[in-house]
Amino acid sequence: MKPFKVLAVCFAAALAACATTDPPESEMAAARAMVAQARPVAQGAAPAELATAEGTLARAETAMQRGHYEHARLLAEEAEADARLAWTAAEAARLQANLQSERSAR
Amino acid sequence: MKTPWRLTALAAALAAGCAISPAANERLEQARASYRGAAADPQVQRHAAPELQNAANALREAERLAKEGSYSELVEHNAYLAERRARTALLTAQARQSEADLVAARAERQRAQAEAREREAAAARAQAQQAETERQQAEARTKRVEEEAARQQLQQAAAAQFAADVNRLEAEAAGVRAKRTERGWTLTVGDALLFERGTTFQPGGERTLDEVARFLKKHPERSVAVESFTDASGAKDAAERLAVRRAEAVKFALVQRGVEPYRIDARGYGSSVPVAASDTEGGRELNRRIEIVIGPS
Repeated sequence: MKPFKVLAVCFAAALAACATTDPPESEMAAARAMVAQARPVAQGAAPAELATAEGTLARAETAMQRGHYEHARLLAEEAEADARLAWTAAEAARLQANLQSERSAR
Repeated sequence: MKTPWRLTALAAALAAGCAISPAANERLEQARASYRGAAADPQVQRHAAPELQNAANALREAERLAKEGSYSELVEHNAYLAERRARTALLTAQARQSEADLVAARAERQRAQAEAREREAAAARAQAQQAETERQQAEARTKRVEEEAARQQLQQAAAAQFAADVNRLEAEAAGVRAKRTERGWTLTVGDALLFERGTTFQPGGERTLDEVARFLKKHPERSVAVESFTDASGAKDAAERLAVRRAEAVKFALVQRGVEPYRIDARGYGSSVPVAASDTEGGRELNRRIEIVIGPS
């Protein structure tokens, strides 16, 4: 009777922990902002990275709707990292092209 | 007996948890490789140190969780973040290097353009300077030519005036003959028309001297040589002495009439320079003469 009681307490505590996780609003906001920032520039220059970011953000949104906040937080962080990579790749390509045209202008 | 079985099952579960999933392991390997690649790049160290630090933080978290042997999902998550951030650091470094190169290339192009403009401006200035110098030289040449023409015109006018005056003198003063020579104009007067005897002038000779003096005062810039000649008859010494005295007498008479003495050079030449043969009285009379040579100004 006693071990069962201990396990029951543990399970209850774990459930409580899950239930008390707050919605990852700031992570979601950061991911949405970064994807929005990357979208216009990365469509041409880094489409694969942008598509990954968009897909991961969509999965994060779904997790939020279902209340799977911990999962949503991880997906939001990954979407943000994807979008930052896409934006940076687009920036690097843009500056490289500018440099090429400057050099050929001479 | 129920309790030991349950404990065994729990221990087995914990032991299984000690190893993270193969997928997480693979992700961790990728993250380590990406991070090593980015960290080894000198451009990343120079341009993207904060971005590299973000990757390092995620990788350390992944390693820590992997060491605990649990939470495969979190290991995978952090390894994924580390891999993305390492690639982001690499691209950031590339972008910033391109930006720096772009700034340098633009500055170089502008410097070259400014240099070219400066060269063009300097060439234009030199050209303008050259044109101005040429214009001034042409102007000076034109001025010189004009001045020379004006001077010649004045000179010609003065010479014409002088010739007209000489001709009038020749017409008005009795016995004066004017001739143009290489020394200037020579006025010749026969001694007989000028002198009564010795150094005494005839009344007609006085009038002739009046005319000559007026003429000389009208042309004050010209030098005057009074030269007295005799004929070859009689004593040579006496004739030469008379020639000198007559030349001096003419000079004195001209000075009395207002001609500056320094202009007049008086000389007696005796019979050394005859103008006619001395074997007739007519020729001898021609040779006894006063020549007044009026030189150039």
